[in-house]
Amino acid sequence: MSNPAAKRLFKEYKSLSSDPPEGITAGPVTEDDMFLWEALIQGPEGTPFEGGVFPAELKFPKDYPLAPPKMKFLTDMWHPNVYNNGEVCISILHPPGDDPHQYEQASERWSPIQSVEKILISVMSMLAEPNDESPANIDAAKMWRNKREEYEKVVRQNVRKSLGL
Amino acid sequence: METTFDLPDSTDWIATALPAFEPLEAALRCEMCKEFYMNPVITSCSHTFCSLCIRRSIAADGKCPSCRTTLSSDKLAPNIAVREVVMRFQEARPKALELARADKEQETGIEAGNNKKRKLEDTDLEDGEDVRQTRSRQTRRTRRNAGSSDAPVEIADSGDDGDGDFLPEGIAKCPICNEAMKQELVFNHLDVCTGQSASQGRSTRSKTKNPFPGALQRRQKEPSPPPARQSQLNYAMMKEGALRKKLQEIGIPSWGSKDLMKRRHIEWLNIHNSNCDADESVRKRKKQLVKELEEWENTQGGRADTKESKVMRKDFDGSGYAKSHKSDFDDLIAQARKQRAAPKSEDDKETNGNADGVAQKDPHPHPESLLSMPDTPISTEQKPQSIRQNGVEPQGLYNHGSELGTRQDGAEFANHAEANSTSEPVESTTASQEPPIGLQNPLGSPSRKLPMFSMPEEPVKELDMFAT
Repeated sequence: MSNPAAKRLFKEYKSLSSDPPEGITAGPVTEDDMFLWEALIQGPEGTPFEGGVFPAELKFPKDYPLAPPKMKFLTDMWHPNVYNNGEVCISILHPPGDDPHQYEQASERWSPIQSVEKILISVMSMLAEPNDESPANIDAAKMWRNKREEYEKVVRQNVRKSLGL
Repeated sequence: METTFDLPDSTDWIATALPAFEPLEAALRCEMCKEFYMNPVITSCSHTFCSLCIRRSIAADGKCPSCRTTLSSDKLAPNIAVREVVMRFQEARPKALELARADKEQETGIEAGNNKKRKLEDTDLEDGEDVRQTRSRQTRRTRRNAGSSDAPVEIADSGDDGDGDFLPEGIAKCPICNEAMKQELVFNHLDVCTGQSASQGRSTRSKTKNPFPGALQRRQKEPSPPPARQSQLNYAMMKEGALRKKLQEIGIPSWGSKDLMKRRHIEWLNIHNSNCDADESVRKRKKQLVKELEEWENTQGGRADTKESKVMRKDFDGSGYAKSHKSDFDDLIAQARKQRAAPKSEDDKETNGNADGVAQKDPHPHPESLLSMPDTPISTEQKPQSIRQNGVEPQGLYNHGSELGTRQDGAEFANHAEANSTSEPVESTTASQEPPIGLQNPLGSPSRKLPMFSMPEEPVKELDMFAT
């Protein structure tokens, strides 16, 4: 526990469990390894994701919080900012140094004062409002832009699938 | 791990009678490590962090984590006021939290009319003395509550055990000797004040000030001059040898590649310079700092990788691994078996068409190293027969070429062993175990090193264990 990264993760875990933000649960998969977390995110209300509960996996680097974790959904997600393999692509998860997409402001990106909670809240609002400027899933982005109804239908299907219905 | 559950945290206040202390405490904690500020420093953009945290962050990207201003670590200045506030708060915290919790319990107890529950939870507080005290306070407060429904009167109490700074109106203290007198008299007194009791005043202060027991106080007695901050080196201009020498001079480990030494030196600067920002009473010795560097070495430095693999092994899912890699193992086993059956005869056939295979494999590593991991294939060979029978094709499709190459190799080695006329059976088994090594190429990614390849031995054994 002398490891500052593990210590900080434990603190975050504690504060997340004693004061959880609405619609979000997160914690390490096992307490022996603080660097792999699982999170459950509720689909925001008023969106096609409503009613769904989406499991995701967070992998933290050894030098956390200097570098951001990686986040990956463990269910099928049809969303402009989620890769087909489930990996989430939003600005808060990108270190400020490299900007592969050249569209994010430095202030939106990862910094050591961000936290798991802020990431998960950002992801939740990303579900509600996709950013189609630089999509990770181009097909989903196109569908979202041009055929919104169809997009919502696919999303709802995934929601049902994720609930095992 | 259990002890870490006690990690104090600002959310401790949420469920108490003083939820407003939650943001207060959060404000006294570093935003990076979420601990109470430790040797806080203020940046040129006026943000405050632990010295070590901000130094590490600057070493990583040179920017303020809060506002992204470019920072330089030699512009950091100790934030003494914050240091003091944090220290005081930490002193007051346990008691305050205890009271706030007790208060909440009482409230709920009264609401529910459930005295039993309250008592039960009271006894959860460990120290007998403390409990008694809280109880007496509680009862006192209950009485007061009965009169006026105002609970926060308690705050007045806290002044009692303070340093007696309270003065009646019209009375002031001499700022030098701390003596109380009428306000008008202070100025006159100042002219003649010898400051005689100044040392006394200060000493009482430092008595209350130093919350750190024994060991640290003793250290204070032998005051050392404040250590000087060390500056970064120009790593690009420095030759490896010079850097190594420099590390030796400083007295920190000097092994490893140049890059590792550079990272180690940067971390050393972080640790050392942050210690320079510490209050004298909590300043650490070099020995301790070197120990901290060692911790870094184990988690992020040169020994990090081996450590990681140990962690992996601890909760390694042996049977799962065995299942998912079964076909690989089967291939290996099949090859090893084949080779042991006919190392020489096949060798003759294949030498013809396999010139490039030989060329590829010719710079063979020292056979001694192979001898050092004896008869693994043999022990695995007999056990997983059952696996093999329902298993996949014995020969992998993808590694045909390399298979030939290694077989070649194995045979070569066997010959070599014979030539050495050490005709013990062990030698021939070492020959038969070459295939796994040859297979490294088709299977392995360059980043995977030895540990992964010593795996096959383990899961198979484990599978056996599971079976029994």
